[in-house]
Amino acid sequence: MSESVVDTVSHQTGETLVDVQDLKTYYEDGGLLGSDPVKAVDGVNFEIARGETFGLVGESGCGKTTLGRTLIQLETATSGAVSFDGTDITELSGGDLKEWRRNAQMVFQDPESSLNDRMTVGEIIREPLDVHEQGTARERREKVRTLLDQVGLMPEHYYRYPHQFSGGQRQRIGIARALALEPEFVVLDEPVSALDVSVQAQILNLLEELQEEFGLTYLFIAHDLSVVRHICDRVGVMYLGNLMEVGPTEQLFQSPENPYTRALLSAIPEPDPTVQVDRITLPGSPPSPRDPPEGCPFATRCPVRIRPEDIDASDAVWDRIREFRDVIRERSRAEQSVGERLKERLGFDTALADSEEIVEEEFDDVTLPPDVQEHVEQAATYLSDGDPDAARAYLREVFGGQCDTETPQYYDVDDRQMSFCHRHAQEHVSPGEELRQRGYDTHDG
Amino acid sequence: MMETELTEDIDQPLRDRLKAHPGPALLWGAGLCLLLLLEGPTYLDGLLGAIGFGLGLLPGAPGAEAFASASAFFSELPHLLSRELIPNRGYYDGSAWQGTFLGLEPKYAWLIRFLLVYAYVAVLLGWLWYGYVTFRRHYRAADWTPTDDVIDRLRSHYWGLFGLAVVVFFITMAAFAPVVGPTTAEENIQGPYSHDMQYYDADTETVETITIGEANLGSASRGSGDSNVGIWSYDDFGRFHPVGTLVSGKDLFTFLAFGARVSLFIGLGSMAIAGFIATTLALVTAYYKGVADLIVVLTSDSVQAMPALLLVILATVVFKNHWIAELYNGAMLFILLFALIRWPGLWRAVRGPALQVGEQEWVDAAKSYGQRPTVIMRKHMAPYILGYLLVYASLTLGGVIISVSALSFLGLGITAPTPEWGRAINIGQQYIASQSWHISLIPGILITLVVTGFNALSDGIRDAIDPQSEGAEGGAAGAAAGGGGG
Repeated sequence: MSESVVDTVSHQTGETLVDVQDLKTYYEDGGLLGSDPVKAVDGVNFEIARGETFGLVGESGCGKTTLGRTLIQLETATSGAVSFDGTDITELSGGDLKEWRRNAQMVFQDPESSLNDRMTVGEIIREPLDVHEQGTARERREKVRTLLDQVGLMPEHYYRYPHQFSGGQRQRIGIARALALEPEFVVLDEPVSALDVSVQAQILNLLEELQEEFGLTYLFIAHDLSVVRHICDRVGVMYLGNLMEVGPTEQLFQSPENPYTRALLSAIPEPDPTVQVDRITLPGSPPSPRDPPEGCPFATRCPVRIRPEDIDASDAVWDRIREFRDVIRERSRAEQSVGERLKERLGFDTALADSEEIVEEEFDDVTLPPDVQEHVEQAATYLSDGDPDAARAYLREVFGGQCDTETPQYYDVDDRQMSFCHRHAQEHVSPGEELRQRGYDTHDG
Repeated sequence: MMETELTEDIDQPLRDRLKAHPGPALLWGAGLCLLLLLEGPTYLDGLLGAIGFGLGLLPGAPGAEAFASASAFFSELPHLLSRELIPNRGYYDGSAWQGTFLGLEPKYAWLIRFLLVYAYVAVLLGWLWYGYVTFRRHYRAADWTPTDDVIDRLRSHYWGLFGLAVVVFFITMAAFAPVVGPTTAEENIQGPYSHDMQYYDADTETVETITIGEANLGSASRGSGDSNVGIWSYDDFGRFHPVGTLVSGKDLFTFLAFGARVSLFIGLGSMAIAGFIATTLALVTAYYKGVADLIVVLTSDSVQAMPALLLVILATVVFKNHWIAELYNGAMLFILLFALIRWPGLWRAVRGPALQVGEQEWVDAAKSYGQRPTVIMRKHMAPYILGYLLVYASLTLGGVIISVSALSFLGLGITAPTPEWGRAINIGQQYIASQSWHISLIPGILITLVVTGFNALSDGIRDAIDPQSEGAEGGAAGAAAGGGGG
C-alpha cells in the first residue's frame, strides 16, 4: 500500500490556505433547562496548505464530521477562528458569506441521501450555478455537461433522475455538484465509505485526477485508515473533539507517537496471518462529549497515563482503579428521575446506592495497598451517601496524575509531526518507552 | 467537438421539441379545442361570473357590472350541455309530450342530458390523460421520472380508483349542477312564485298555466296519504323527480346537486387554507426547529384543545350579522372556521415527514452553496411532504363535509334557501319511517359515499407515493431504511 502513495508535492505551494485556531463547536440542545452542550469539536488547531490533501481520522462520534462542516460554515463555530486565505470565515454573514461559499464545497458521505431524488441530474448540478447566477442559462447547461464529462458521466445523463444511477455514479454526481462553482477547498466527508470496495478505488482516483486538474485542496474525512494512507498528504488524528496528533501521512503511519494514534493504528488488520501483532486494546468506551474529562481527553482510556508518584501499586491494581473510576463517572453522569431525587431527599435507599457491591465486584481478586484501600473506602462512602459527584472528585484528586488535571500541549515530536500528550515533556518517559515498560508490543524500535 | 451536436439536440426547450415533431401535439390540441368549444360559453360564463363576484366584494365594486353582464351574455349562447338543447320539461297533451327533447318522456330526456354530462366529463378527462401520455412519449426530455412510478402504482390500485371515480362523480355533479338537475335552483328553490309552468289538466283536457310554487304545493312529500312523490316518479304536473321531492315539494335531485356545490366549496376551500398553513408551518419548524417548533406545538395544542363544534356554533352566532357571514350564505365563514380548526391535525401529519426530509444531506448541500432558506424549503423539502398532505387533506375533507352537514342538521349551518345536504336530512328526519323516507335517506347515503370516496382516494395516493406503507412488513422495511441514513 505504501508504494501507491501519490506524490502530490508537485502542485503544493506550501502556502497556508486554511488555518484553524482553537476552534470549538458545541451543540446546544435548545432545551429550556440549559443542559450541558455536546462538545463535538473542543479546541482544535491545524493548518491546511494550498493543494494538499489533509486527512482527518478517528472513531465514530469523535467530531471529525462536525469539524468538516464547521470549516464550510454548515455549523456555527462556538469560538475560535477559521482563517481562509486570510479571512476569518466564522465572522462572515449575509452576502459576504454567500459569496465566500463558492470557495468551499462539500462531498457528502451517503450518495443515497445527498441528491434530491425529485430533480434531474442536470438540475442538481446546475443549482449552485443558479444560486450564484453564473452566466446565462445556456452557459450553465453547457457547464453542467462539461462537469458530467469531467466526473466520468455522459452528457445525456442530464435529464436522468438519481434513482437511475448506482451508488458510485451518484457519488460522481455529488462531486460534480461540489465542483460546479470551481471551489478552491473541498471537504470530502467519508466520500467512499458507503461504496463497494471495487468502486471506492475509482472514486479515489477520480478525486486525485480532479485535484491535479483544478489544483484543489482537500480535507478528507475518513475512518478507513488504508484509504487515508492512500490519498492523504498529511493526517490529523481526532479523539473526543481534540486533534491528538498531526503529521505527514507516511511518517505518522510508520512512527506514531501519541498513545491514541498507536492504539488506533494497531487496530489495522495485518494481511499476513503468520505475523503476531499485539493489539493495544483500549478499555471502556469514549466518554460522553457532553462531559469530557478535564485535562487530557484520552486520560480515561490511555494505556500510558501518568500516575501520581505518591501511590505505589501494581499495574493490575491501577487497572481496577481505572475501572472503578469509570463506573463512578457513569454514576455521576446518570440522569436521576425526579422520583429518585425525591426518594433520596427523603432518605430512602435508591437503586444507585449499592456502593459496597461495586467495590466488592471491582476489587474482589486483588490485594490493595493500605493507602489505596483507604481512598477506595472513602469514595464508597461518598457514593453510599448518594453523592457520586463527590466520589468522582475525590478519586480524581487522589489517583489523578498530570493527565487528569492539565490539558496537554502540542509537542513537535518529529519534522512536521505534532502530538498532544504530556509524555512528550522532558520530565516524563516517552509514550513508546512507557508502553514497552507496561508490557505492550510496539513496532517502532 | 462531437458532443456539441448531441448537447444542442437534447438542450432544446419544449417549444423547439414541439416544433420539431408537431403531429401528436397538434392532434391533441385540436381535440382539446373541440371539447372546450362545445362547452365554451359555460366556462366563460363561470370565469367571468367569478371575477365579477370577486370584484363585487371590493369597495365600490369596480367593473363588477361589466363582468356580470358579459357573464350573462355568454350564458345565453348555445352549447352542448344545456337545458335549451335537451329540454326535459313539457306537458302531455293526451297524445304526445310537448316541449321535451325529441318528444320523449321527461324522464328519458333528463336521463340523456344527465348521461351526456358524465360522458362529456369522461371524454374530457380521458383526453387530458391522453395529452399526458403524448407528452410523456414524444416531448418530455427525461425518459423516466419518479412521478411515473407513482402514477403507475395508482393506476393499478382499484380501491383508490374507486375513490377517484366517486370524487369525480361528486365534483361533476357540483360543477354542472344547473344542467344535471331536472329543474334549476333559480326556478324551483329560490323563487318558485316568480316562475310559471304549463301542465295538462286531464279533467278539463286543457293546458293550464300555474306558478311553480303552487305546483310544488301539490308535489310535496309528506309521508302520509297521497302527498308523496318518491324515487323515479312523476308528480301531478308532469314533472319528473329522479329521487323524489322534499317536504316543500321542491325537487330533491336539484337540491342535492346544488348542495354538492356548497359542500365541495367549503371542503376544498377550508382544506386549501388549512393545507397551506400546515405546509408552511411544517417546513418552517422542520428547517429552523428549536423555538419555532415549540411555539407551533403549543399553538396547535391550544387550538386542538378547544371543543371544535362548540367553537363553530359560537362563531355562527357571534358573526350572525357580520358581512363575512353573508358571503355565499355563510359558506365563507365555515371555510375560515374549518381552516382554523383543522390545520393543527394536518400540520401534525406532515411534521414527521418534514423533519425527516430536513435531515437529508441534500438540504445541507443546498445550504453549503448558499441557497436561500425559502427556496430550500420549497424546492428540496416541500415536494416530499405534499403527497402526505394530499392524503391527510382528503381524509380531513370528508370530516369537514360531515361537520357542515351536521351543523345544517342542527339548523346552524348554511342558511336557507341555499341547499345543503344536512338540512335535507334534518327536514326528512320525521318522515324516515313513512313512504317519504327518501328525503333523509338519499342525502345520507350520498354523504357516506362521498366521504368513503375521499378516504379511498387518499388510501390510493398514500400507497402510490409510499409503497412501503402498505402492510406491516413494508412498515418495518421503511423504518429500517429511515434509520440507515445516519
